Amino acid sequence: MQILTTPFFGIFLSLIVYLAGQWLFKKSHGLFFFQPLFVAMVLGITILVVLAKFLGQDVANLYNTAYRPGGDIIFWFLNPATIAFAVPLYKRNDVVKKYWAEILSGLLFGTVISLFAIVGVSKLLGLNRIGIASMLPQAATTAIALPISKAIGGNSAITAMACILNAVIIYALGSWLVRRFHLDSDPIGEGLGLGTAGHTVGSAFALKLGSVQGSMAAIAVVIIGAVVDLVVPLFSHLVL
Amino acid sequence: MSQQNKNATTKKTKPAPFLVQMGIYASILFVSNIISSLVPASFPVPAPVIGMLLLYSLLSLHILKIEWVDSFGAILINLIGFLFVPSGISLAANLDIMRAEGVQIVAVIMISTVILLLVTAYTTRFFIWLKKKHPARSKKTKVSKGVPVRALSHVKGEN
Repeated sequence: MQILTTPFFGIFLSLIVYLAGQWLFKKSHGLFFFQPLFVAMVLGITILVVLAKFLGQDVANLYNTAYRPGGDIIFWFLNPATIAFAVPLYKRNDVVKKYWAEILSGLLFGTVISLFAIVGVSKLLGLNRIGIASMLPQAATTAIALPISKAIGGNSAITAMACILNAVIIYALGSWLVRRFHLDSDPIGEGLGLGTAGHTVGSAFALKLGSVQGSMAAIAVVIIGAVVDLVVPLFSHLVL
Repeated sequence: MSQQNKNATTKKTKPAPFLVQMGIYASILFVSNIISSLVPASFPVPAPVIGMLLLYSLLSLHILKIEWVDSFGAILINLIGFLFVPSGISLAANLDIMRAEGVQIVAVIMISTVILLLVTAYTTRFFIWLKKKHPARSKKTKVSKGVPVRALSHVKGEN
């Protein structure tokens, strides 16, 4: 199967499963379960698992040799896409200038409180120390979370899974969560929350809700990265 | 490129050509990659985050005009759901973790996501409520009430 070793396969598979997700989402009139990113993820993994069985290969091996060359090309474009969030941020500079102290304190204290809650939930559900350490850096984007996770004795594969699922969950359940917990009454907190919990994808979601939400989510991605860099190693040293 | 930039300056609302915008993003990414590699490993700052700060600073200092980066950026942001598909599918490489203790881990991740969203949103709302409740509070009034300035000044900042 020569076609499986060129980047074409990864790009093609990503496109097909995402388009299938968009189609299902439209057909179901926006049912959250058929959110395109979620459908694409489940469908893509299923196809790889079935294909691996069919070819008698290991799934991880097939993923690395067949999907990854193309997948990495698409993934790379997240770099300029993250930079692009400077534009919505700049457009709402007025909010940043007026509320910078509240934004900073909200993110700092919000992260510390969340860390305690995450440790509590992890212990309640019976995760071991490695599992808990892997959960702590998840508020940051993957590039920050993975090295921090390693440094505090976590498993970076679990942390990567957390960062990815965060984004998928926020994209799929964001509108329900916003409605259920009445977050829309305060666009600044709403945006910061979506950026913290959903990273870059959460920021794109927040931008759909409004320009204030989008700019706040973008600033949250930047500041939460620094907060996680500084707070999580100290926190894990003191609490774990 | 500078020739085309001048063209964009004269027609204010006209967006810069697609390739020029791409070139700007690529240049910022190039510089931020260099900066990112200079940052110590114990305090990782990814290149895209540096790039966002860099572009934000260039826009704030009016070195770059918003028309030079706006439309290409909007296209990228609108595509983010799709750009994230490979990350989602990358979980296929870690299916063994899922098999071992997947239910617990996924449950903790789901709850943690909601915790991060709600706690950040409500904490910020609390600080904004504090600000609105005491809009006229300044350092001087604190002094006159006998509250130590140093203890409060960093909480409210210069606002």
